[in-house]
Amino acid sequence: MKRRIIILLLFFAVLLSTAQERAHFSLFTDRDLYISGENILVKVFAPTDEQSGIVNIDLINTRGKIIAGISKKIIDHQADGFIDLPDSISSGCYLICTSTKSNPDLTVKELYICNQFSGLPESDIGLRSAETNLFIEKSANSVQIDGLNEAYKTREKANFTFHLPSEFIAQISGNLFVSVAGFVPGFSSGTFFRRMNPMKSRIVEKEGVILEGSIKDVKTGKPFKNGIVFLSIPDSIPRFNYCITGEDGNFNFQLDNYYGKIPVVVQGFDREEKRLLKIVLNRRDSLKSALPAFKTWTISPEFRRSAKDNSDAEIFCKVFNYQELTIAPIPLYKTDGYPFYGAPSEVIDPQLFVDLPNFTEIARELLQGIKFRAYNRIPSLHVFNPAIFNYFPDQPLVLIDGIPVRDLRVIKDMGSKEIDRIEICHNKRFYGNLNFSGVVAIYTLKPDYARIAESDDLIKLNINTIQPDVTLNGPFRQRLNEMDLRKVLLWMPSLKPGQTIRLDFETSDIRGFYRLNLHGKTKDGSDFYKEQIFEVK
Amino acid sequence: MANRILCFITFFVLFAANSLTAQQELSKNLNAKKIKGTNFISYPPYSGTPYLSEKFLPGEIEFTDGSKVKDLGLRYSSYRDEIIYYNTYLSAQIIIDKMSLKGFSFTDEKGDKRNFRRQKYDGYTNGERYFEVLNDGEISLLVYRKVDLETCETSYSKLGLAFKQSYIYYMYSADKGYSPLKLNRNSLLSKFDKPNQKLVKKIFRKNKVAFTDESGFVLAWNLLKESGISINF
Repeated sequence: MKRRIIILLLFFAVLLSTAQERAHFSLFTDRDLYISGENILVKVFAPTDEQSGIVNIDLINTRGKIIAGISKKIIDHQADGFIDLPDSISSGCYLICTSTKSNPDLTVKELYICNQFSGLPESDIGLRSAETNLFIEKSANSVQIDGLNEAYKTREKANFTFHLPSEFIAQISGNLFVSVAGFVPGFSSGTFFRRMNPMKSRIVEKEGVILEGSIKDVKTGKPFKNGIVFLSIPDSIPRFNYCITGEDGNFNFQLDNYYGKIPVVVQGFDREEKRLLKIVLNRRDSLKSALPAFKTWTISPEFRRSAKDNSDAEIFCKVFNYQELTIAPIPLYKTDGYPFYGAPSEVIDPQLFVDLPNFTEIARELLQGIKFRAYNRIPSLHVFNPAIFNYFPDQPLVLIDGIPVRDLRVIKDMGSKEIDRIEICHNKRFYGNLNFSGVVAIYTLKPDYARIAESDDLIKLNINTIQPDVTLNGPFRQRLNEMDLRKVLLWMPSLKPGQTIRLDFETSDIRGFYRLNLHGKTKDGSDFYKEQIFEVK
Repeated sequence: MANRILCFITFFVLFAANSLTAQQELSKNLNAKKIKGTNFISYPPYSGTPYLSEKFLPGEIEFTDGSKVKDLGLRYSSYRDEIIYYNTYLSAQIIIDKMSLKGFSFTDEKGDKRNFRRQKYDGYTNGERYFEVLNDGEISLLVYRKVDLETCETSYSKLGLAFKQSYIYYMYSADKGYSPLKLNRNSLLSKFDKPNQKLVKKIFRKNKVAFTDESGFVLAWNLLKESGISINF
């Protein structure tokens, strides 16, 4: 019996250990050296067993602080995007890191960024990762590159062909990634893996970025149960969602079908209006788990020269507004065509009437069936319900540019000069398990949400949702005397494998060494690459 | 000791399985779409019934984006062409916004699944309507389950008004629109060419189709679709 148990335990231990050995994300960038203001082009291969549908790619500094980040949808176990480097980023070593909400494993790649204005540090000493356990790809020896010369002239057209044996194609999982970009000889940055600290979140991001947090009682500091959290996304048709907190006071919202940076307002309150609450958002502003040990490194003259040339080129690009990337149109999402509070029963445009100084006057003169009073300086608002031939006893849902407002003092001083239109729903409205005794939605002429003040229970923020797809632009020049300052000559993040893949590109005006890279993943989860170096003279 | 270890292992496996399913549930809840609507005010107690079913029946709704909400108590108001659902949390009857729905379905008292689809009707009193789909395809057989409020003898209804069924049947195709049908043999035969009518009659005879009610008519329609005889539409 004992032996059986030991065998069972051993089997269980083996099972556990294999579960721990998860496959990692593979992370590639177009180059290793960047100038502030440039774009980092990123390609990610996700493990086949990855549960998350969204991958976060963050740029962090040597203290673990997130400088910039994007979220991309994983399609066919792959994702690609770009990180726009801030102009003000200081020169030094940075790390680019992939992470998901459900996977504790991080893939980290080291990069060097040089500030275009201040250049490299005057001293030749810099910091670099001391990580020795680097991610190693297998060289795809069976893949042949045909037609690529050792040297090209500037602005010369080049074409080459990849020859992939059919046995090799059968082993490939998904698409291939091909790029041609400049590199600094003698400088290469490594990729390594890290593991995050135990994660608080159990949520898997499937369709969109998830905004999560918790609400706490200000007085006791404990999580607040049965609190209501509103999420408002101002838009031409505003979006709204709500969440009722459980024992742990946690809430979460999935921002699906949203692309790019969007303004979001989160507010939480006690339904009985007895407690003051505080919202705490689970936002990642640092990724200390990704940090390796660092060592000093001597900047070579070659590296310094390359950084200087690239800086000059980047300044030219900025001055002449050369756009490296074209953002693809955002997929259209079919909406109901009316706001969450229902099709309005009445729409009033105060601009069509004489100027009225405040909302009391507007309600009195223009809004039928709306009673706005301010007894003892406390405003109250009620909507007439035609079904019962009387006013609703409760306050209606009041919105400013789609954001719910509970304190009516915010709208008290709004005159007709500030208001674009007012939409009114006279019926009782339902949204999920919420009900509203009528709706008064005010749309302002200047929708900057400045009237809505931030507080403990109301947070205004801009969220980076899924980044739209991009394509690399071709040669910049319109006329012969215009400079072509592309550093990435070819970027094909998703290329269907075939026996012969014929590709072409055109060299730019930047001289130096370039590398043609081919990366892919085999069905057993291992990565392979093929590369060839050439010079533009 | 051995039993203890076995119990421990079983507990651990169960715990792991539980936490996995909990994660799935959590993801599912995040995607749950909220139902939008207005409150339902009950109709005056005229004779007849304004509803298709007396009770709230279990069913599901489909939103315009294709997402579905299942296990709802649904009741179709034939009088107003509205779908009403019972919100158990609020204990309220709510009319679901027609524009937010693509369709709905419920299982009636007999256990049959009834599918309704929102479609734009471009004929007289045009607008968005819920049509019950009796047969779907390139040419669909639809029914608009209308109930009218009509005057009647006070001996029949004290208020002098009664809800009366006036269902309208249509053949529908996306290209050609709606073509009304009467619930009888001749109406259906008129939709075929003269040479085909003999063939159609033969099919009816062979299968002993009786046009006494809706089910007979639907049966006839299904037989004709199976036979592949082209409909004059």
